[in-house]
Amino acid sequence: MKKFKSTLFYVALTVSALIFVYPFYWMIIGSIAPENEIGNLTLMPKSLTLSSYSQMLDKIPIGGAFINSLIVASSITIGVLIFGSMIGYALSKLVFKGRDLIFYIIIFTMTLPFQITLIPQYIIMVKFGWIDTYLALIVPYLINALSIIMFRQYFKSIPDSLIDAARIDGCNELQIIFRILWPNSMPAIITIGIITFMASWNEVLWPLIVIRDESLMTMPQLVTLFAVGGRAESQLGVKLASAVMLALPIVVAYLFFQKYFIQSMASTGIKE
Amino acid sequence: MLVSPYVVHFILFVAFPVTFSIVLTFHKWNIISPMEYTGLNNYIRLFNDKTFLKSIGNTLIFLVIHIPLQIIVALFLAEILNQKIKLRGIFRGAFFLPVIVSGVVVTILWQQLYGYDTGLLNRLLTGIGLDKVGWLTDPNIAMSSIALMATWKNVGLYIILFLVGLQTVPTQYYEAADLEGATHMQKFFKITLPMINPTIFMVVILSTIGGFSLFIEPYIMTGGGPLNSTVSAVLYIYKQGFFYYHMGYAATLGLFFAFIILTVVVIQKKFIEKDN
Amino acid sequence: MKNLLNIIIVVLLAHILNSCSISNKDSRDEILYWCSNDNSEIKFAKVSTEEWNRNNLKDQVKYQPVPEGRSSEEIILAAVVGNTTPDIYSNMWQGDVEAYAQAGVLIALDSLNGFLDFLYERCDSAVIEEIKSLDGHIYQIPWKINPIMMIYNVNLLNELELHAPPQTYSEFFNASQKFQKDVDGDGYVDRWFGYSEVLVTWWQRFFDFYPLYLASSDGAPLVKDNKAFFNNEYAVGVFRFLQTLYKKKYFAREQLTARQDVFLASIIATRFVGPWEIAHAEKFKPKGFEYDYTFMPVPDGHEGPVYTYGDPKNIVIFKTCKDPQAAWNYIKTMINKDGDLKLLTITNQLPRRKNLNSNPFFQEYFANNPKMKIFAEQSKYVKGTDASPVLKEVFDLISQEYEACVIYGKKTPEQAVKDASDAVDLLFLQ
Repeated sequence: MKKFKSTLFYVALTVSALIFVYPFYWMIIGSIAPENEIGNLTLMPKSLTLSSYSQMLDKIPIGGAFINSLIVASSITIGVLIFGSMIGYALSKLVFKGRDLIFYIIIFTMTLPFQITLIPQYIIMVKFGWIDTYLALIVPYLINALSIIMFRQYFKSIPDSLIDAARIDGCNELQIIFRILWPNSMPAIITIGIITFMASWNEVLWPLIVIRDESLMTMPQLVTLFAVGGRAESQLGVKLASAVMLALPIVVAYLFFQKYFIQSMASTGIKE
Repeated sequence: MLVSPYVVHFILFVAFPVTFSIVLTFHKWNIISPMEYTGLNNYIRLFNDKTFLKSIGNTLIFLVIHIPLQIIVALFLAEILNQKIKLRGIFRGAFFLPVIVSGVVVTILWQQLYGYDTGLLNRLLTGIGLDKVGWLTDPNIAMSSIALMATWKNVGLYIILFLVGLQTVPTQYYEAADLEGATHMQKFFKITLPMINPTIFMVVILSTIGGFSLFIEPYIMTGGGPLNSTVSAVLYIYKQGFFYYHMGYAATLGLFFAFIILTVVVIQKKFIEKDN
Repeated sequence: MKNLLNIIIVVLLAHILNSCSISNKDSRDEILYWCSNDNSEIKFAKVSTEEWNRNNLKDQVKYQPVPEGRSSEEIILAAVVGNTTPDIYSNMWQGDVEAYAQAGVLIALDSLNGFLDFLYERCDSAVIEEIKSLDGHIYQIPWKINPIMMIYNVNLLNELELHAPPQTYSEFFNASQKFQKDVDGDGYVDRWFGYSEVLVTWWQRFFDFYPLYLASSDGAPLVKDNKAFFNNEYAVGVFRFLQTLYKKKYFAREQLTARQDVFLASIIATRFVGPWEIAHAEKFKPKGFEYDYTFMPVPDGHEGPVYTYGDPKNIVIFKTCKDPQAAWNYIKTMINKDGDLKLLTITNQLPRRKNLNSNPFFQEYFANNPKMKIFAEQSKYVKGTDASPVLKEVFDLISQEYEACVIYGKKTPEQAVKDASDAVDLLFLQ
């Protein structure tokens, strides 16, 4: 009985795993198959070709978009880590007037749906002249409520004595954060770093709104417009190729840091 | 003060936008011309806007299909994974793959899978003798197709969350039940489910908030069709604001929709508190 | 407090640095002219500006193709918002002008010296009425049109023993029925008499509903006096015509154009398309393939000339231009007889000029390009768009009813047209 149940489990898991992985496999071989075969493709194309990729490279500046995404996502991640830890530290270890008020405000902003601030935020970008600049993509995301909460939570578990000792040694607040707290908070930093990087890399609605210049578009934005607009000229292979390119960076990062990815996402849930 | 950047950011990107948003709802503005005060016009227009109301309905349909489906599938797979399974890491990794990849990739991929004539799904169906399905061309099922795709994409995350929840259930309960001769199913429904209630509700709330921001999938896949059956609320707001530049009207729609989201989430939270 | 100060300084610095990078466009002395990024139009701009610059050392004109990528309409909007508009823009769709005129970013051209005289000499008075803004001024110069007509496969029609292409709805249905076939016997139709993209995008209507409506109604407007005008028998007739075509499978509901040009592949026999198809057809047509153009089909019993949609693109001068009179002097050379002939020979697009088919100046061109002759004939009966700042949305609302009625058959044409008309009225109430 146990053996039967066990095999049933493995079958279910394998079938499910296939369901989750096969479409990606199909996408990859679709991108290297000749155009007229894609409609009939299941396991292997009859011939391989890289023409979809060369055509895509001709049509859209995907390399530039990759760099844009890299710059934007990295800047945001670094900013979020710096500011999040600064404010999380202040909220968890320091005492000052209005501390609790700010904490509640932060919680409140987390519940605010972005749909409310979308239009006015765009208008601010217009008024500042930040449309079609990196600033519009980066600055609104530099401070993130979730990261502040998570840092605060994590710092609370760091013994006060450590901080007091540093103060006695003459460290100022910033030094405390970066020299004492950061080295002792690697799990939190990795977690928040990965979540933030992933979220900013995949963000597409906001770039669609504030970036019109093709040379500044982020990767998901460029691929979206490519898939939706007429530039792909209804050629499936090219669209699939662009999708593969878009997926590649994150999947590569995932293959190396799988453990951290999964842990990070799991802990967001726990913190809720 | 360390918190000062937050204060600046908050004022710029939260306080001011929200206030300005409210002010905008009473005006008409297309960015290039000066703002025009229009009183309650935008609100009147909102309540007469059949397409907007439909878009909210579409979003709710999406949630109603997507959330239960996701919970059932995630719970099912998490429960299996929780048993003594070898290669658990590999399975987990496979399930998690769609989660990290951009929604854009998933949408482009599934758009091909759902293709009426050449899509993989329909070819499989006709291969086993069934009829083709109008996944994206039948107005009655297009939104369900999107919900199915969204489930496929996100379920991995929730499997992980459920796994964590499942592992918090003390093994003594199961051992006690084993002594009484309980079957797996009985153990699941009588012990596991009640113990992971908090996780289930967290999953519901996370999925709800995520589901309300549905945008890029219908934008790429169907553009809102067929017959406006896949226009999500955010897609409609985006179109009003950034395609027609009806800034005042779009702000009104956004405000109204945010209100609906908050209401739904509050109701859900109250539901949890009552149950616990 | 010190930290707060630091942060404010950083933010301001970033803002200032950013603004500095937006180059000092105001300090240019030459006239900046944005042309479309179509290759032949770039060539035209090059030739035209070079000739002008040779003879006018003072007011040099520099041409620049609109950047590729997004729709040029968005580029213009971004330029208007950012105050970085060029002096001259030549690719503005007529339907976009009203919104910009009302926003006050365009020069009222009728205030320029010699403008009106020149305009009346070049254009029909009907055309001039059409391009007037709601405030009575003129903010655009009609430049070129690409009339939508019906292209047809001569050989296929001969096979059906039709020696003239269908001109009325009934004739069109008859021809469609004769042409319809299940070529490979798999139970599905694979030959259709015509084809139109089954897209709900607002501009797709330029290739089906709108030209048919104009043909049927002799150029009636869609909107007038801030109300919908199209709730009439003409629009209903067009909806019914198209709905029947899809119902009877004379037009395909699936997207056929993914992998091929269906017209050149003889899978369809007709299509509603403009003169740009000629260059494409000449390049890719199979051996022995013969085609020609005729007028859009009209309801049975229709009398008089057949109108159509001309997809007009016009020239505007933005208010940021420092010397509009000089800009106008240059534009005159783009649209005088020589300029118009250049437009024809370089881009094969028709200038929106009166008497194109009878003016001896252009005879040689049409003798060399016989397929373009019918477009010259058509050019007298071409309509652009009505002056309205929300035209795009009007077409979008019509498209939604089009989808429900014509493609999905869920509404009667009467109901669909009425619903579209009501929606448009509601739109104008804002």
